[in-house]
Amino acid sequence: MKIKTATTKTAILSLALMLGLAGASHAADMVFTSWGGTTQDVQKSAWADKFSQKSGINVLQDGPTDYGKIKAMVEAKGVTWDVVDVEGDYAIQAGDKGMLEKLDFQVIDKASLDPRFVTDYSVGSFYYSFVIGCNKDAVSACPKSWADLFDTAKFPGKRTFYKWSAPGVIEAALLADGVAADKLYPLDLDRAFKKLDTIKPDIIWWSGGAQSQQLLASAETPFGSFWNGRLTALAATGVNVETSWAQNITAADALVVPMGAKNKDAAMKFIAYATSPEGQAEMAAGTGYAPTNVKSPALMDPAVAKTLPDQQTASQINADMAYWAKHRDEIGERWYAWQSK
Amino acid sequence: MVASVETEMPALAPPKRRFVPTGFKPTLPALILVLVFFVLPVAILLTRSVTEPVLGLQNYATLLGSATYLKIFVNTFTVSALVTLFSVMIGFPVAWALAIMPRPSANIVFAIVLLSMWTNLLARTYAWMVLLQRTGVVNKTLMGLGLIDQPLMLVNNLVGVTIGMVYIMLPFTIIPLYGAIRRIDPMILQAAALCGANRRQAFTGVLLPLAMPGIASGALMVFVMSLGYFVTPALLGGTANMMLAELIAQFVQSLVNWGMGGAAALVLLVVTLSLYALQLRLFGTAGERS
Repeated sequence: MKIKTATTKTAILSLALMLGLAGASHAADMVFTSWGGTTQDVQKSAWADKFSQKSGINVLQDGPTDYGKIKAMVEAKGVTWDVVDVEGDYAIQAGDKGMLEKLDFQVIDKASLDPRFVTDYSVGSFYYSFVIGCNKDAVSACPKSWADLFDTAKFPGKRTFYKWSAPGVIEAALLADGVAADKLYPLDLDRAFKKLDTIKPDIIWWSGGAQSQQLLASAETPFGSFWNGRLTALAATGVNVETSWAQNITAADALVVPMGAKNKDAAMKFIAYATSPEGQAEMAAGTGYAPTNVKSPALMDPAVAKTLPDQQTASQINADMAYWAKHRDEIGERWYAWQSK
Repeated sequence: MVASVETEMPALAPPKRRFVPTGFKPTLPALILVLVFFVLPVAILLTRSVTEPVLGLQNYATLLGSATYLKIFVNTFTVSALVTLFSVMIGFPVAWALAIMPRPSANIVFAIVLLSMWTNLLARTYAWMVLLQRTGVVNKTLMGLGLIDQPLMLVNNLVGVTIGMVYIMLPFTIIPLYGAIRRIDPMILQAAALCGANRRQAFTGVLLPLAMPGIASGALMVFVMSLGYFVTPALLGGTANMMLAELIAQFVQSLVNWGMGGAAALVLLVVTLSLYALQLRLFGTAGERS
């Protein structure tokens, strides 16, 4: 009898505990997923922590972003990510394929958001530019344009480019080959790969931001194409970096909500905060990437604001995310085939 | 081979048996677990290779019919074979030294081998990148000594992948080899010497055949692990050395083309299982018993 009571008590207690825990974790939590590294650190401090203070909703961090996982979660109807930071072209493609929830623009104020990065399913998370970076201590002259970067006679040595199939490198090759900025799309892939062939033996690819910084700082590749924020960060550590903004190529990350996310309401509120003038200003100041809210620069230290891509519009080129969304797979296949040749 | 088996034969009487497991019923829960959490997901992914985007074998046709993917298959096997070869060539003397060393020193060497295995993979791979690059320590030292004028290309190519992976795989050859060598009765080598075998003959005619099961199991483990390796080739290799696991990751994570990902995974699986079957046929076991 005694034993039985004890067992029953334990059972009830553990059941209550489980329910309690489940309840607690369900009521006030949501999950934000991004790419990790310094960018997600800032997303946490600039967005998640502040948002939690204001709303009382806990934001758990996860990562890295993995499109395969999003697909698996959506198909299995077990979505554990509520807001995900993805590439802009993926956001458009996934939205069209029914993988994403429509955003609630009653909650998210899109009036002051840069319309280039807003779709029914996504808003700009931050935007960056591919720029030409150069380690001034390692070479006597730095390449100033994409044409320079593709000129191995004038600038001999190794150069580094982004390894994965994504907006940026193909555009740079075409610009270097003399294609006018307004004639870039549709991309002439044959011409781009032919141009890339001319420097292929001199390319060392970077697969992540940290690697790109390591390559430039050690002068393993004294110049190359970089995410602008990584150069700002590297310069801050004392490396003598030159950034050329000539024909800088912009691409954006986007915030999306996977179809079937469990905490949709919290997700919308989180996105609303992340894209608010304050949220974007703090994110930009912390990362060196540009805010997607046009009201943010006014809130920022002018000295910082002027180093960001949104102030470098003179010869700026916007990678066409809609084009990329449509041709992502086909370009990807050709890209990896060319690389492995 | 016979001799070593005999030394292992238990001379004791079998222990008193109280519980005799009959049939496979007691293992059912474990079997179900394996089935649900391992076999089923793999089966689903593999099924996708013939159902996505449409029903048919088109994914396999693309995979096996394209020169690009063929090259990636060749890369994968070349790298794995090279890594296996060097791991055994370096692992054998180390295992031999470990086996004949006095215990305390052997423990220290063992600790070093295992410690490297327990250090974060990414950290180790980045360390090799920094050491091997053109402006890295190795090249600077060699140039400082005047041995070379131009930096050697040690990374972002086949050389880099091989060095990085051999380093990571070495413990997986050293440990089974150590086990195999320890089991060899030293008297057998003495007997060989007494019978007039010189050192080379004793090595090739006695030691090597006796250590063969250990070599085979270590080599198989390294080869199979190398086939599916991802991080090190991605960081230390150039794009021209892309391996199959990288391709699968691309398909699954980035291009979200699970049909092709599944097809590539199945090809890898078939190859791995065939090698395992070959090992069983040649050595009778997975190599654990000599």
